[in-house]
Amino acid sequence: MEFDWSSDERAFRVDLRAFLATALPENWPEISKDGPGSDAQAAFSVEFCPKLAERGWLTQNWPTAYGGNDASAWCHAILGEEMWQCGEPRGAQYMNVNWIGPTIMRYGTEEQKAQHLPPISRGEVLWSQGFSEPEAGSDLVALRTLALRDGDVYVVNGSKIWTSYVNHAQYCFLLVRTDPASKRHRGISVLLCPLDLPGIEIREIPSVVGDRYFHEVFFTDVRVPVTCRLGPENEGWEVVAHALQYERVGAARYARAALTLDELAKRAAERGLLDDPAWLDRFGEARAACEAARMLVYRVIDLRSQGSPPTADTNVARVANTLAERLVSELALEIFGPDALEYGCFADSHFRLAMTAGVAVGATEINLNLVANRFLGLPRE
Amino acid sequence: MNFELDDDQRAILDAVGSLLEQRAGAERAMALSPKGVCDDDLDRALRDSGFAEIALGADTGALEAVLVVEAIARACGVVSAGAEILVAPMVAGRSLPGPVALGIAGRDEIVRFGAHARSALVADGDVARVVDLEPGEGTAVHSNFGYPMGRLALTAGRGESLGPGSAARLQSWWRLALAAEAVGTMRAALDVTLEYVARRRQFGRAIGSFQAVQHRLAECAVLVEGSRWLSYEAAHHGATPEAAATAAAQAMAAAHRVFNETHQFTGAMGFTREHALHAWSMRLWSLRLELGGASGHRRAAARARWMSPS
Repeated sequence: MEFDWSSDERAFRVDLRAFLATALPENWPEISKDGPGSDAQAAFSVEFCPKLAERGWLTQNWPTAYGGNDASAWCHAILGEEMWQCGEPRGAQYMNVNWIGPTIMRYGTEEQKAQHLPPISRGEVLWSQGFSEPEAGSDLVALRTLALRDGDVYVVNGSKIWTSYVNHAQYCFLLVRTDPASKRHRGISVLLCPLDLPGIEIREIPSVVGDRYFHEVFFTDVRVPVTCRLGPENEGWEVVAHALQYERVGAARYARAALTLDELAKRAAERGLLDDPAWLDRFGEARAACEAARMLVYRVIDLRSQGSPPTADTNVARVANTLAERLVSELALEIFGPDALEYGCFADSHFRLAMTAGVAVGATEINLNLVANRFLGLPRE
Repeated sequence: MNFELDDDQRAILDAVGSLLEQRAGAERAMALSPKGVCDDDLDRALRDSGFAEIALGADTGALEAVLVVEAIARACGVVSAGAEILVAPMVAGRSLPGPVALGIAGRDEIVRFGAHARSALVADGDVARVVDLEPGEGTAVHSNFGYPMGRLALTAGRGESLGPGSAARLQSWWRLALAAEAVGTMRAALDVTLEYVARRRQFGRAIGSFQAVQHRLAECAVLVEGSRWLSYEAAHHGATPEAAATAAAQAMAAAHRVFNETHQFTGAMGFTREHALHAWSMRLWSLRLELGGASGHRRAAARARWMSPS
């Protein structure tokens, strides 16, 4: 066991921080107050990601054959920590890099790779994720959006919901049912669906989390070329399972939470609150939860860097991240007191971001099911 | 970064594992418990095999010591593993005659191994002291909390001073030892509970197949795993005040949850002296009462991170 960063890794973090110090404008807190899905942050990401790409950092974890640098999983984790800590200036593009690109590399045709990977690695394209449906949330395999083959196109009808980033995206990583008679895991396919096709309608779902956070996407007789299908027809579930394992620890939530906690402690100290053992207790509790979450995410990265197939350690880490983020965000409100009530203030911004942690990318209960069955070996019904 | 055991660490764990399999275990702990004694045979065997000095080895250190302490706790060894194998070598720079008690000067209180300890490491103001204890100094105290307990009066100024600032070092290694012992103990308590809920059937199915049970045990596992990796990382970094207190804070939060849930899911059976759960579970509360418990560790972690003069 070895828990130190290598000199290369440390140097990379230093370089990255120096870059961020110049690349983020003074009004970055204002730009980032509504999270990665906001108009302001989406627009910023299209300026910012090409700069990361120029330095070879945007898709550094990809193989060189696809425009990456074969960087270690650890260097990619450092990138994720630094980006998420400062409010994710990559906007939605972190998804492209973390799991959409790698999934296309693994399951895509040569044409699909040539079409999609270069724009992703240049930081020019925005993707969204079309998984959840009104009747298929945690029970994702209940999805009903239908894609019926008609010659060399699929005719897609149905709807997706809670779709983040779709308002700015050019593509959707879309799960559909290509075999109408199929049930559950069988008969599902993945379409790399362009969002400018006729018959696609996007509506925002207003939420307390932030503006432009959630959307509903309606598909009415949308004709998607068969060449957009990723992986074999009707056997897309394997593709999805692969993508989900990468997605679930995609965002370095613990890093953001830990940084928020440091900032809160600074403010609490200024107000003399850290002389109060009760507050110290709360800070120590939240700090320990952040640190535990960090180590559990590192465990997943460690397994990945050794080429191990995905394990339920991913779900363990995800649950720990949610616990940590919740403790910090609640403390943020309480430390700020009534000042926390102003929309867009530091405490409010963190609280809104943290609210989604237990629901986004798989509810905590789904993660706990997987921990119980796969990590602890408890029997299913 | 590398989270895998290296070959040497694996060999150490194999060696201590086979020793513990022969000489420790819940049954042995439960047999010794009514007598309120330490397991001198196990202590001797561990020393004879060199485990008491593993923290000071040429190629081994605190991390290997933490792994061994965790393994001994998991095997319910009735020895002062944390104090002997981790704390004494790291604070005094040598192994001390065992059992070793840990305490605070000026207090007259119940401590683990207090009636049997031959040495004590004592936080005395700014310094840590090594105190040689006379036989019969401590008074045995009947206790339900899993370790042989004794009341021990530790006066200030007694024993060999380990120098200015050594008390803080003692507290940090002590916290880390608590985390390591709690992790081993929690893993065993969870193991016997998992085995129980997989076997115990009610309403025509294993109770471990109910989601209400599964989720709570899964949450325990999340807390224990986090504590485990934090304890290894803290050992690797030499038990800095922040890392040690953070590991202990997380481990004691986990211990609280694991105690409640393992007893909940083993039902009345878990309260009996026949079932092994109590051999581990009751120890968790004993560990939780040292150095201010979860609150003490949390405050220490917060002070170390945000209030240390830098």
